[in-house]
Amino acid sequence: MTPGKRTQPRTKLPSTYNPASGHRFNVGDRVVIKHAFPPGHRRTPYYIRGKEGVIERICGAFPNPEELAYGFDGEPAKMLYRVRFEQKHVWPGYQGPARDIIEMEIFEHWLAPASGRAKPASPTQNG
Amino acid sequence: MSDRPIHKGPHDLGGTAAGPIDTTDHGMKFWEKQANALRNTLTRKQVVRVDELRRAAEDLGDQYYKLAYFERTTMALRTLLIEKGLITETELKARMAEVRARFDVPAAAASPVKKGAGR
Repeated sequence: MTPGKRTQPRTKLPSTYNPASGHRFNVGDRVVIKHAFPPGHRRTPYYIRGKEGVIERICGAFPNPEELAYGFDGEPAKMLYRVRFEQKHVWPGYQGPARDIIEMEIFEHWLAPASGRAKPASPTQNG
Repeated sequence: MSDRPIHKGPHDLGGTAAGPIDTTDHGMKFWEKQANALRNTLTRKQVVRVDELRRAAEDLGDQYYKLAYFERTTMALRTLLIEKGLITETELKARMAEVRARFDVPAAAASPVKKGAGR
């Protein structure tokens, strides 16, 4: 007998994932994270707001956690993207190698197209 | 610009000085295991959602930092169960008093457990 081995398979909850059908951004698009600080349950980290990145992948559509957090059904589902940022852009005075990156998953309603040479805002300066 | 209201939850710590990280395994106390089991059951049965628990924990504000992990999640669960009308504050207080009374053991002198006789 192997201790810890399950006799019955655990029934998994159905995934809330939906394949990406309608998405505003494509892989490689430059985006800027909204520089906004609204109240409520928000998963976009403070330090990334106002920063510019590139769409690394389209993760799919998921129920909106900002609505789920207050007991609503999270519909309509929101498109989630993995966005890649350069560390030296995210952290002023970053000491690490210039090629260092950070990636995070951000919902579509937090993204706007980066307008050409827009100068990156830095929310960390007014904190 | 600096007058702009900034809403930043106590969970959103990225980029702030945090000091050394305590990597000690503190284990789980009995009540923590029970509270965790209750939370997992209620989440699995979709009575409460993880997203709601996170929101209720974030809303603890300054208290968030004063509480340990399982205290935080238990407080969040308490908030949600009351919010959803599944329990009332009065019921919870009554039940807590009842459970507390169960643990209201007599003073050491009256304990049936004999102290070791100086061995």
